[in-house]
Amino acid sequence: MTVQAAAHAVRQWTTMRDEKLRRLASVSSYASGKVLDARRIVPALETLIKPGDRVALEGNNQKQADFLSRSLVQADPAKLHDIHLLISTLSRREHLDLFERGIARKVDFSFAGPQSLRVAQLLEDGKLEIGAIYTYIELYARMFVDLTPQVALVCGVQADRHGNIYTGPNTEDTPAIVEATAFRHGVVIAQVNEIVDELPRVDIPASWVDFIVEADKPFAVEPLFTRDPRHIGELQVLMGMMIIRGVYERHGVTALNHGIGFDTAAVELLLPTYGESLGLKGKICRNWTLNPHPTLIPAIESGWVDSVHCFGSEVGMEEYIRARPDIFFVGNDGSLRSNRVFCQLAGQYGVDLFIGSTLQMDQDANSSTVTLGRLAGFGGAPNMGHDPHGRRHSSDAWLSLITEQKPITRGKKLVVQTLETFKAGGEPAFVDSLDAIEVGRKSGMAVAPVMIYGDDVSHVVTEEGIAYVYKVNGEERRAAIAAIAGATEIGRRANPKQTADLRARGIVALPEDLGVSRKQASRSLLAARSIDDLVAWSGGLYTPPPQFRSW
Amino acid sequence: MSSPVNAPAQDWQKFLARKSFIELSAQDRATALLDAGSGRVILGPFDRLKSPWLPQQGIVAQADDGVVLVRGTIDRQPAVVAAIESDFQGGSMGEVAGAKIAGALEMTLADHRKGIPTRPVILFETGGVRLQEANLGLAVIAEIHAAIVALRPHVPVVGVIAGMVGCFGGMSLAASLCSHLVATKQARLGMNGPEVIEQEAGIQELDASDKRTIWSLIGGEQRFAIGQVDALVEDDADAIAAAVRAAFAAGVPATPRSARVDEYLAKLAAFDPTQAPDPKALRAAWGKGA
Repeated sequence: MTVQAAAHAVRQWTTMRDEKLRRLASVSSYASGKVLDARRIVPALETLIKPGDRVALEGNNQKQADFLSRSLVQADPAKLHDIHLLISTLSRREHLDLFERGIARKVDFSFAGPQSLRVAQLLEDGKLEIGAIYTYIELYARMFVDLTPQVALVCGVQADRHGNIYTGPNTEDTPAIVEATAFRHGVVIAQVNEIVDELPRVDIPASWVDFIVEADKPFAVEPLFTRDPRHIGELQVLMGMMIIRGVYERHGVTALNHGIGFDTAAVELLLPTYGESLGLKGKICRNWTLNPHPTLIPAIESGWVDSVHCFGSEVGMEEYIRARPDIFFVGNDGSLRSNRVFCQLAGQYGVDLFIGSTLQMDQDANSSTVTLGRLAGFGGAPNMGHDPHGRRHSSDAWLSLITEQKPITRGKKLVVQTLETFKAGGEPAFVDSLDAIEVGRKSGMAVAPVMIYGDDVSHVVTEEGIAYVYKVNGEERRAAIAAIAGATEIGRRANPKQTADLRARGIVALPEDLGVSRKQASRSLLAARSIDDLVAWSGGLYTPPPQFRSW
Repeated sequence: MSSPVNAPAQDWQKFLARKSFIELSAQDRATALLDAGSGRVILGPFDRLKSPWLPQQGIVAQADDGVVLVRGTIDRQPAVVAAIESDFQGGSMGEVAGAKIAGALEMTLADHRKGIPTRPVILFETGGVRLQEANLGLAVIAEIHAAIVALRPHVPVVGVIAGMVGCFGGMSLAASLCSHLVATKQARLGMNGPEVIEQEAGIQELDASDKRTIWSLIGGEQRFAIGQVDALVEDDADAIAAAVRAAFAAGVPATPRSARVDEYLAKLAAFDPTQAPDPKALRAAWGKGA
């Protein structure tokens, strides 16, 4: 017998499939076909999941498989313990109760947001172990490498009895999680709001899904991407005007991604007014990758926008999207089909610009939203906010960032960071050392949790002006940042002579260098100044969620 | 939205073309209610009427102390508008701010005694008394109350609550003493603000972040529906100015709301205080149809 033959004789090649089939058979008494009995979901989960399993729980910054998470936390820790949770956002109380009760032990996640203090506490108490903290798509990538889930708990709007799933407009992460699980012998359980005979469309085919269960109430979903125009201040209007003139117009940016924030909301609301007055319609901001921000409605209605692809949906925007199928990616049923992974891909390789607000920046333009005492994680911004070196196609905007003539060179994605020089409470936003360094050290992270690395940043925008940092290196780059850092300590280090020189060379631009009038920067320039205005712009199609209604 | 979802496009266009009253500063709000070109500020910044108390507590005082008085005409009749600036200390009533309003009302009363039919308007945008000025603030609020009561047999005292601060505390009493109250649906009118109630009585009593509940209890629409506000108008400077003109044109009401004591006592007696009615039930009981 050869060595290979001997190996063949002992190695079983179907252990994972066998184990999956065994698990499916073990819960047959809790299910009728693929439909799990919602009242017996807890024992069903206790039977389907084994201690030590990797469990992907769908919970991101928008929709939440909350019926399944609320059920999982009721499991008996004597039966179900030490699971390894893979979750993009630790946002619900029960996500951490799982660790408190010993049901889960280890977690790989992207963002903890409101639960970040509790994560730190559980970590200190030794009840929670962190595998790693990721960006969204890194976490999903690992699911296709060495963190394949044994069980996925996901959610959708509707299912039919065969297990086909309609996710509704918030398709988001479901296809990625289900694919990673289903095709490597994991068990996929989907909670749905209702089981129906006919689905509007199929987002996840039945053959990828093992069980469906009708939830006690519709899955939780948060309107995180709505910014009330009422709270946009005049500094943000000024910065928006500078961004339109000094970045979008100057570089001819047609394809872009906006992070969420009042600065970018201001830009969206300035396009139909200020942008229009500059004759820029059709020349900039045509193709977008972003969630369906309500503040984009006036630009869409004024004919600025050709297309929008979305990571997720936004509560209240459903009917508006349905009525604008030329703009959004929608199914044959008419409702939005979002997809976080594809939108991330589009945002990295398909668009020419990322712009986002940050809270803290150092002299090298490294930035972070981490503040002392909180380990919030990363979300999606670091992936959007970088220059992907794997890009090979060119565009005018991408080429416009080439600074030296060499036989081999390449363009760059525009990575724009905006921040006001002082945060609320008079804290300077420009610092010598990011809080992230201290937070990383305290949390035992191998590297400091920087949100956007300085060397990826091409433009920094403050209320003082714009630093075109892609044009310079080293000491001069720091001087350009200091020149727009206002009255912060770093800003006060700027040498007026050097600033004048940087302005003359187009490395720093103040509003007047861009033809932006500070006096014109008033809220009256915004196409909508309240949620009511956005509703009116949409012709009544946008239905703001209660927390955004002030009437 | 007050307009239905299927409203014709021109209604939405008209709405977007409106001049938002909420967006205006106190001075612009006051001017918007007066006949075009008639407004002039009295006791302006050069009169140096600042709060003497705020700097002692490390707070920068403002040249108008958060109240702007504008004289002018409404339908060609002499008028005075006292507008509270919510951007300064939340529209709180300090000694100077309150004295400016009380003084304006007392001067108006003096005008009427001389046969000058000056029309008084108060733009309420206030959390109530300024805590830093404590009793002095409360004292001037009492003066405002007294001045409204003294003036209202002569001329309608018209109050406007537009938002977004709303009208609370002692100034909610002042608003309720007015002969005629105009509000938008963004307005709120109540004794204690939601944050105060949450802080004092706990989140189970009232969740101050639950906007729907807050507005259903004390919002302009509800206050209008239960008869505590006389006119509900859109956040539109022209519409609010028209409502104010209409209030003066209608003249002094036979019995001001705050004098209809027996009627309100009877209404209150119909409720079991241990079983507070929800906003809908209150509308059913006190509403226009009831």
